[in-house]
Amino acid sequence: MSPEIIRLIAQATADTLLMVAVAAGLGTLLGLPLGVFLATSKRGELFAAPALNAVLGTLVNATRSTPFIILVVAIIPFTRLIAGTSIGTNAAIVPLTVAATPFIARLIEGAIREVDQGLVEAARSMGATPVQIVRKVLVPEALPAIVLGLTLAVVSLLGFSAMVGAVGGGGLGDLGIRYGYQRFMPDVMAAVVAVLIVLVQTVQSLGDRLARRLNKRLRHA
Amino acid sequence: MNALTSPDAFRVGTAADAPALSAGPPIIRFEAVGKSFPGRTGQDAVSALSGVDLDVPQGAILGVIGRSGAGKSTLIRLVNGLERATSGRILIDGEDVTSLTEAGWRARRRKTGMIFQHFNLLSSRTVFDNVALPLEIAGVGKAKIAAKVGRLLDLVGLADKSGRYPAELSGGQKQRVGIARALSTDPKVLLCDEATSALDPETTQSILALLKQVNRDLGLTILLITHEIPVIKEICDRVAVIEDGRIVEEGEVFDVFTRPKHATTARFVEAVTGVEVPAYLAGVIHAEPQPNDQAVIRITFTGENATAPVISRLTTTIGVDVNILAGRIDAIAGRPFGSLLVSVPAREPGLHAVLGALKSLELKAEVIGHVS
Repeated sequence: MSPEIIRLIAQATADTLLMVAVAAGLGTLLGLPLGVFLATSKRGELFAAPALNAVLGTLVNATRSTPFIILVVAIIPFTRLIAGTSIGTNAAIVPLTVAATPFIARLIEGAIREVDQGLVEAARSMGATPVQIVRKVLVPEALPAIVLGLTLAVVSLLGFSAMVGAVGGGGLGDLGIRYGYQRFMPDVMAAVVAVLIVLVQTVQSLGDRLARRLNKRLRHA
Repeated sequence: MNALTSPDAFRVGTAADAPALSAGPPIIRFEAVGKSFPGRTGQDAVSALSGVDLDVPQGAILGVIGRSGAGKSTLIRLVNGLERATSGRILIDGEDVTSLTEAGWRARRRKTGMIFQHFNLLSSRTVFDNVALPLEIAGVGKAKIAAKVGRLLDLVGLADKSGRYPAELSGGQKQRVGIARALSTDPKVLLCDEATSALDPETTQSILALLKQVNRDLGLTILLITHEIPVIKEICDRVAVIEDGRIVEEGEVFDVFTRPKHATTARFVEAVTGVEVPAYLAGVIHAEPQPNDQAVIRITFTGENATAPVISRLTTTIGVDVNILAGRIDAIAGRPFGSLLVSVPAREPGLHAVLGALKSLELKAEVIGHVS
């Protein structure tokens, strides 16, 4: 492989990492409160608001059921509004974040619903406010599951990021299509796949390790 | 037979522990309290409690016993507002709490401790941080928390487990953490929701001893609910029996145990006070005496005479041979109580003399049948 190609692969890897990292970060920032709210706002729950819960739930489902490539195209005006342009790596972060947020929210909702209701009752019996219950009980207790969920979200985002080449976003997927496929360069294709495998493996094992360290439930004396 | 009903498994106190109650106003008073839950769409509301009148004296340990679904859990949750009464009044420390707002309840809950059947410890927090949680919630400073938690862990005997996580502890240790946590805000009242039901008999005994200790040393009023009569027998001063959302009997443990008035109470106390006719006799016992039969007598001992040497006195003063068939002598709320199944020759006048002698000792004696 020529140094030129190696430089391209390095650049594409950096683009992918940037897009995924920013989208995952923003998705978590938005998805965490949304997920917590979804998990605590049904009838009789801490922040009971059944109507809003239903509306947000439907919105989340609608976003999640739209295929990513269609979402990218469908929200181009929104992307332009946020990023100033609808083309390029920075612009690609917008649809990635829009796709990541409801996904992460659902994962966090699931993690929080797994927390034993007895702990919520115990916290209430101590006089905790709903916000204290979320901050001191629900999120810390759900943290190992949240970390595993975020790991899954990052891996999915690595896959999604391969599609943003369609709107001029860079990254490994784009490189694989343009060089590996359209220019018949199987070595580039192989390199792209190899880098993606390494990235996914690394993310997954880091996430697993972190979740295990945070999980105090399985320890024994 | 379930190990939990073994009468000795729960022995904690002795007569020296007999309760000394202050005669002040009750710290918790239920007045005609009812609670119903809205039914599912198109169905009637479900009544969980109705017409509950109950006083919990300051400094007492009051046990509420009932089967699952009787309304015990609802009853105990009314005291810290986890459930709200739908009728009647609840007074705590003289204050009517029936119409408190959620914020009012939160302030009140910070002065009421609660422990749970399944401990409800946070798995993500160490023992220290679990005990610290109510103090954090109340906004207490770090230095104060550290001192307080240290003292509490000493009290419950877990000073060396401070940095451990709940998953590393045994069930009994977890409940000790639960007790330390419940005591951290210096509550006046401790609510125990089936606190020993998930523990083995030996551990149950040690947890009950700890509860008795904090009751005595800290003057803490304890309201506990349980379905295990030995728990009532070991540590409670008073007992209330609940069935179908109503209190069917209430009083001092010794009185209720030795003279149960309600059929449900009688069934509960049977397990710790009753003596059954042994299997080998049950098949041959008959009502009408035959010549040379033995009369089977059930003698119930209560109070002072429980310790009198009754049997040897019968033998020496009346000269009858007394055969002991089955028996149980025990302490209830620190006072001796027992029942004994004996047989004596059914011939008169010997039998008459025996019954007369027992009566003169103020013991309850009844002939329950005859055997050959």
